[in-house]
Amino acid sequence: MSEVKIEKLCKSYGPVEVLKDIDLTVEDGSFVVLVGPSGCGKSTLLRSIAGLEPVNSGNMTIGGKQVNDLPPAQREIAMVFQSYALYPHMDVYNNMAFGLKFAKTPKAEIDARVNEAARILQLEPLLKRRPRELSGGQRQRVAIGRAIVRKPQVFLFDEPLSNLDAALRINTRVEIAKLHKMLKATIMYVTHDQVEAMTLADKIVVMNNGRVEQAGRPLELYYKPNNLFVAGFIGSPAMNFLPAQVKKGGTLALSDGQELKATLPSSCKTGDSVTLGFRPEHMTLGGTGNFALTGTVDIIERLGESGFAHVRLPSGQTIIAEVRGDPRTSSGQSAKLTFNAENLHIFNAEGRRLG
Amino acid sequence: MADAKAGAGNAIVGMGRGSYAMLLVFFLGPAVVIYTVFSIYPLLATIFNSLYLRQPDGAYIFNGLGNFQTLLTDTTWSAPFWNAFRNNCYFFLIHMLVQNPIGLALAAMLSLPRLRFRATYRTLIFMPTMLSVVIIGFTWQLILSPLWGISKMFLNAFGLGFLFAPWLGQESTALITVSLISVWQFVGIPMILIYTALLAIPEELIDAATVDGLNQFQAFIWVKLPLIFPTIGLVSVLTFVNNFNAFDLIYAMKGALAGPNFSADIMGTLFYRTFFGNQLQLGDLSMGSTIATMMFLIILIGIMCYLFLIQRRMQRYSF
Repeated sequence: MSEVKIEKLCKSYGPVEVLKDIDLTVEDGSFVVLVGPSGCGKSTLLRSIAGLEPVNSGNMTIGGKQVNDLPPAQREIAMVFQSYALYPHMDVYNNMAFGLKFAKTPKAEIDARVNEAARILQLEPLLKRRPRELSGGQRQRVAIGRAIVRKPQVFLFDEPLSNLDAALRINTRVEIAKLHKMLKATIMYVTHDQVEAMTLADKIVVMNNGRVEQAGRPLELYYKPNNLFVAGFIGSPAMNFLPAQVKKGGTLALSDGQELKATLPSSCKTGDSVTLGFRPEHMTLGGTGNFALTGTVDIIERLGESGFAHVRLPSGQTIIAEVRGDPRTSSGQSAKLTFNAENLHIFNAEGRRLG
Repeated sequence: MADAKAGAGNAIVGMGRGSYAMLLVFFLGPAVVIYTVFSIYPLLATIFNSLYLRQPDGAYIFNGLGNFQTLLTDTTWSAPFWNAFRNNCYFFLIHMLVQNPIGLALAAMLSLPRLRFRATYRTLIFMPTMLSVVIIGFTWQLILSPLWGISKMFLNAFGLGFLFAPWLGQESTALITVSLISVWQFVGIPMILIYTALLAIPEELIDAATVDGLNQFQAFIWVKLPLIFPTIGLVSVLTFVNNFNAFDLIYAMKGALAGPNFSADIMGTLFYRTFFGNQLQLGDLSMGSTIATMMFLIILIGIMCYLFLIQRRMQRYSF
C-alpha cells in the first residue's frame, strides 16, 4: 500500500499563500500528474510532499504513515529533478548508490539494486561514466535510476522532461509510461505540458493560484471541465469563450445579437449571463452544424495535416477553429464556422460549469 | 553569432598583408608593449644583473652563477637567506592552515540558506582587505602595544591579563603575530572566491542530497566541497604567490630589519635591505638581483608543482 493522502495542506511564504487547503489522494500504483501555469504551486506541492519545503498546516500521509515531521530521506520517496541534479563528481554507479551508502545498506545489496536499475534502464555500459560524459537522455535515465534504487513508496517527478529536446521528450515520455507499468509504482509528476499530462496520467490535477481546480481522469477533464480555468487550460489551442445571455424560450443571445438555440441545463435561468465554450477541434469551416458563427478570417496557421483559422467575429472577438487538410480560405475572406450543440460547454457568471 | 564570425573571417581573408599586420599591431601592440616594459624587461634585467659581481671600485664583472653560490653557501649570506626562506615558509603555512580554512568556513556560513544580514557580514569581513596595509599595520601595532594597547586592557577586563605578552616584540612570537594580522586582513579574498563558487552550485543538487539522506553539513562535505576543489586550488596558488612576494605588512610593522633579531624577516624584506641598502648596509645591485631571482625561481617551482601535480588531476565541473 503506498497511497499518498494530503489533507488541508496550507503553505505560505510570509503573507503570500502558495498552497491553499489542498486535498488530494493518490491511489496506490496510480500515475497522478499535477499541471498548471507557472507559479500555480504545483512544484511547491511536490517539494512539500518530498519534505524539501516546510508546510504551515495540514496533514500528509504516505503509505498510511504520517510524514509531516519526517526528513525527506525517511519519507520513503524518491525525487527526479528537472535539471536531473546528478552529482557531477561521481560516476553513474555512485550517483545511484550514494543514498544507499548513506543509509548504511550492505554492499552486496547496493550492488544488486544498482545493477537491477541499470538493467531496467539500459545503463549497464555507462556505469563507470561521469554525468558530463552522458547525453541529456542518458542523464535523465540515471536520475530515474537513482530514484528506482531507493525502492520508494512513491516517485516524485518535477518537470523531468523539460530539459530534453522535442524528439527525446516524446521517447522518454513513452519510457516513463512503460516504467510505470513495469514497476507498478505510485507516481506524482509535475509538468506544465498538457500533452504529457494527458498521455501519462491516470489522474490529472489541475492547479491554479495554489488551489486544486479539478482532479480527474484526463478525458473527464477534457469533456467535462468543472470551470472556465480548467476548460481553458486543457486542450490546445485553448477553448474559445463567448459571453452570452439566456433569453426566454431557452435561446442564447451573443453580444452581437446572434441567437443560438440549445438544450440548456435546468440550472439556467432566463436573463442569466453565461459564458459559452467550444473547442477549436469541434468547429468546422463551412460544413453543417446546429450552430453557426460568421466572421472574417484574420490568419490561418497551416500545420500540414490540419490548420488553425483565427476568425474575427463582428463583435471583435477572435475564435480559433481547427480546419482539416488544406483549406482554400485565405486571410480577409469571410467564413462560416459551424459546430454541434453537444460540444457546447456552458459556464455561469462565476465560471462554474452548468449541466 | 555564426554569421558575425564568418563575416569577420571573410574580412580578414580579404585583407592585404599590410593591413593584417596593422590589425595585429592595433590589437596586440598595447599589451605587448606594457608587458615588455613592466614585466619582461625587468625580469630579464634582474636575471642579467644577478650574473655580475660588484668590485670594490664600483665596476661590475661577469661572475656566472657565482653570486648564487655565495648566497647559498657563504654563511654571511646563506644564514639570513635560509632564515628568510624558513620564515617565509612559516608565513605561507600559517596562511594555508588558518586563512584558507577560515575563508572556507565563512563562505560556507555565508551560503547558508536561512542566513540574515548576509550582505552586511560579507562587507564587514571583506573590509580590511580594502584598507591600506600601512593603516592595518599601524592600527595593530597600537592595539598590541604593551604600553597603551587595548589588547592588554581587554584581557585584564576578563581577568586574563596574565596571557598578555608583547607579541610583536618577542622573537618567538613576532612572525606568528604578523602572519595572523595578515590572515585577518586578507581572509576576505578566499572567502569571496569560495563563496562565489558555492553560489554556482545548483540548489537542486543539494535537494537531491537531502533526499538521499544527507544533512546540510554532510551535503557540504560530500557534495559541495568536491565541487569547489578547483577554486580551493586557485586560492592556494594565489596565497602562495602573494606570500612569497610579501613585503609591505612586515615593512610597515617591523621595518626593514624585520626584528627582533630578524625573526620576522622574509624574502621580501631581505631583498629590500640587500638591493636598496639599509642603515650601515650598502645597496648591492647584483646580490639584490640574485635574491630577487631566487624568489622568482621559488615561485616558479611552486607554480609548476601545482600545475603538473595537482591541476592536471583536477576536474572542473559545469552544471
